[in-house]
Amino acid sequence: MKKGRSKKYRAIERLRILSQAVFFGLFLYLFFGAHYTGEDYIGSTVQRFFHFDPLLALVTIVSSRLVYAYFAFALVTVVATILLGRVFCGWVCPLGAVHQFSSFAFKKTKFLRPPREDKASLAPKYYILILVLVGAIFGLDLAGYLDPLSFLTRSLALAVLPSVAMAVSGLNGILYSIGAAGLARTLSQALQNWTINVTFIQGFSVGLLFLGAIALNARKERFWCRYLCPTGALLGLLSRWNLIKVRIDDEKCIKCGLCTQHCETQAHPYPNDGWKSGECIYCQNCASICPTAAIDMRFSARPEKLTNVSDVNLSRRKLIVTTLAGIVAIPFFKLTPARKRASLKLIRPPGALAEDKFLAKCVKCGQCMRACPTGGLQPVLTEAGPEGFYTPMLVPKIGYCEYYCSLCTQVCPTGAIRKLTIEAKNKLKIGTAWVNKSRCIPYVLGKPCIVCEEHCPVSPKAIKFIEYEATLPDGTTAVQKAPVIDQELCTGCGICENKCPVMDDPAIFVTSVGETRSATNRLLLDISSGAPEDPYK
Amino acid sequence: MKRRDFVKGIAAAGLALRFGPRAFAGQAASLGPLPALAAVEGESPAAITKEAIAVLGGMGKFVGKGDRVVIKPNIGWDRTPEMAACTNPEVVRTLVELVLDAGAKKAIVIDNTTNQAKRCYVRSGIQEAVKQAGGDMLFVDDYRVKKMPLKGEWLKDWEVLLDVVEADKLINVPIAKHHSLCRLTLGGKNWLGATAGARNQFHQSLDKTITDLSAFFKPQLTVLDAYRILVRNGPQGGRVSDTELRKTLIAGTDPVAVDAYGASLFGVEPRELPYLGLSRDRGLGEFDLGKVRIEKRKI
Repeated sequence: MKKGRSKKYRAIERLRILSQAVFFGLFLYLFFGAHYTGEDYIGSTVQRFFHFDPLLALVTIVSSRLVYAYFAFALVTVVATILLGRVFCGWVCPLGAVHQFSSFAFKKTKFLRPPREDKASLAPKYYILILVLVGAIFGLDLAGYLDPLSFLTRSLALAVLPSVAMAVSGLNGILYSIGAAGLARTLSQALQNWTINVTFIQGFSVGLLFLGAIALNARKERFWCRYLCPTGALLGLLSRWNLIKVRIDDEKCIKCGLCTQHCETQAHPYPNDGWKSGECIYCQNCASICPTAAIDMRFSARPEKLTNVSDVNLSRRKLIVTTLAGIVAIPFFKLTPARKRASLKLIRPPGALAEDKFLAKCVKCGQCMRACPTGGLQPVLTEAGPEGFYTPMLVPKIGYCEYYCSLCTQVCPTGAIRKLTIEAKNKLKIGTAWVNKSRCIPYVLGKPCIVCEEHCPVSPKAIKFIEYEATLPDGTTAVQKAPVIDQELCTGCGICENKCPVMDDPAIFVTSVGETRSATNRLLLDISSGAPEDPYK
Repeated sequence: MKRRDFVKGIAAAGLALRFGPRAFAGQAASLGPLPALAAVEGESPAAITKEAIAVLGGMGKFVGKGDRVVIKPNIGWDRTPEMAACTNPEVVRTLVELVLDAGAKKAIVIDNTTNQAKRCYVRSGIQEAVKQAGGDMLFVDDYRVKKMPLKGEWLKDWEVLLDVVEADKLINVPIAKHHSLCRLTLGGKNWLGATAGARNQFHQSLDKTITDLSAFFKPQLTVLDAYRILVRNGPQGGRVSDTELRKTLIAGTDPVAVDAYGASLFGVEPRELPYLGLSRDRGLGEFDLGKVRIEKRKI
C-alpha cells in the first residue's frame, strides 16, 4: 500500500518553523531593546523570556534561597511541558532555533551526513542537570553557563553584536574612502543610536564558545539540545505524562527508517515502543518526512513507561555517583580567597545584592553589560572566584557608571541586580575613589590637571582640590590644584578613573571598598551615616 | 543679604559704571554702523535670541543661501536644561530656525560630548529641539575626525571634527558656566567640544589650549547663552541651586568681547581670565569692553 507524504504534518512542520522564527524574532527585538533608547526607564526586555525558564527559576530560587516573583511564569512552561511535552524546545527556544537552522544549513551544504541510526548516549545532559541542581543546593548558580537563554543572550551581547557593529564600522571606513559618505554617515549615526558596546574583556572566549556550539551541529543535528542542554533535560523529565504521542501505523509503515534517521533529537520514533517522549521536541520532521504518511501525533493520556521517557541508560548507580561527584566537586568552587576578603577590582553594578546572594542569583546572561551605555560593565574572569566567571563588574578604565542611568538594574532577569530608580541608585555607593599621589600630574609634575574634579558628577563634588606644593626633580617647587576625595560623597562611579589622562594606570582609581551592598567591605563604621550636608541650601 | 544677591549687585553696579554711557552711545549710534555685541535680557530664551541676532543685523548678515551651517552648542554633559550644564535648547532651536530661514541648506548641530553622547543629546533637550526646528543633529563619527595642523602656540596639531571644520559658516553657542580650572567656561572653551583625541591633556595648559583653538575655529557669530548660568560646581553642576537665572543672551561678532561680557555676569574682570588676554594678543578680539560697540536691550 503506497501513499504520499502527509500534507497535514508538512503544514504543521511549517507552522513549527514559523513559530521558531517568530520567537527568535521576538527574542532579538527584546534583546535589541536593552539599551539607552532615550527613555530613562526602558520597560520589558529579553528578561521576560528568562522568567519562563523553569531551570533558571528552580536553580536561582534554590541557590539563593530567595523567591523571585517573576519566576511564576516558569509554571506556564512546566504545565505546558507536562501536557504537551518538550514543545518549548522545538517551537519556542531561540537557541534551539539557531541550532536547528544551522543543522539544516550544515545538512544542505553536506557538512553533515545523517547516520542511519544514532546510538550515542543521550545521558550527558541529564548528568549536567544533576550537577547544576546539586550545585544549587550548595548555593552555587551554574545554570547560566549552559542554559540556552542565558547562553544565547551572553553570546549575542558580548560577541555577536559587537562583531557585527565592528564590521559595520569597518565597512563605513571603506564607504567613506570610496565616497559613499551619505550611506556611511547613516550607518555610523545608527550605530551610535543603538549604543552598541564593542569592547569586552571576555568577548573572545564567549564568541569562541558560541561558534563551537554552532559548529557541533555539523556533527549531529541539534547537538546542544541532544547532549548538553540542562534545561532540555529538565523538561524531558517532565515529559512522562504528556498527552501527545508519536505513533506509527504499522500497516502503512514500510520500515525505511527515514523518521529515525532525520529525528533532530534522537527520540527514535521507530519502532513504536522505542520512542522516547522525553527526547521528542515535536518538530514534526518524522511525520512530515514519512513517505507513506504512517506517523501520527495522537492524544493519549497513558503515561509512558519510565524507561521510555528518555531511555538513556540513566542507571540508579550512575545517578548516585554523579550526585556524589557533584557534592564532592562543588565545594571546589568555594575554595577561593574571594570569600575571606573582598576583591578590590570587583566593583559590582549598582543594585547588586550582597556578594553571596549575587553569585547565587546571577545567571551570567550579560544583559546588564549590553545595557550599560558606557560599556563599563564587563564579564569577570578571576576576580570573583571560579563561580563568578562571566558575572558583571565595572571596569572604570573601559567605561564608568553614568550618573543618571539605572539600565543595568532594569534588565536583570533574576533580581541579582535589584531594580532601582535613578534617585535610589544615586544614593548607593558601588566603590570608593583613591588618588595615587605618586602618579597624579599635579602631585608629581607640578602641572595643572584636575580633570577628575571636573568630571565628578555629584554636587557638591566628591573630588575637591587643595593647593599642593610639588617638589620637582630639580629641587624647585610648583603649586597647583591637586585632587582630594571626600569619601562620604563619592559613589564610586569611576568617571574620574575613566577620564584620568594618566593612561596606563590611572592616577585616580576606584576600588570596591565602602560599597553599600556589603556589610564587611567597609572603610569606616560610620561612613554614609547620614545625608551629606548641603552648604548651599 | 545673600551672597548671590551681593554678587549680582556688584555685577550690576560694575556694569552700570563701566558701560552705562557706552550703552547710550550704542543706542544713539544704532542708526550708524552695527554693534559688535548685543546683550538682550528677557523672559523667553527664544525671544532674546531673536532680538540679539536682529540687533546684530539679522541672520542674513552671517548666513548665505545654500550654506552648510554648523551650530556648536555645549552639550557636554548628561544634564537636563535646569542644571545649566548644557546650552539652553530653546536658544539652539531658535538659531536653527533663523539659520534655515536665512536660506541655509543645512543647519548641523554637533558636539563631542563628555558623558555618553546619546544621553547628552537627549537629556539636554537639544536633540528634540533641533529635530523640530528642521536641523540635523550629528553624533561624532570616528571617521570624520582628522588630525590637522592648528599652528597654535601650544597645540601644533590635533584631532578636530571635520563636520565643524568643513562648515561654510560657524556659529558658536556656548553657555556661561563656572569652571574649576579656568574659572569660567564661555565661548573659547566651547571649542574643546569640536576636537577629539586625548582631550584630557588640554588641562595641562588650558588657557593656551583655549587660545589656540579659538584661533583655529573662527566663528562668524558667537551666541553666549546666559539665560541660566552655572555659578558653582562647574562645569557640570548637578543641582538647580548651583545655577542662577540671568535671562540674558549675548551675541556678537567679536568672540573675545562676548566672553568678556559673559565674565562680567559672574563679577569677573576680563583681565582676570588669562585666555582672554592671550586671545586679544593673538588678535582674535577685544576684551576691553570700553572699546567695543555694545547694544543692550531689555524685552
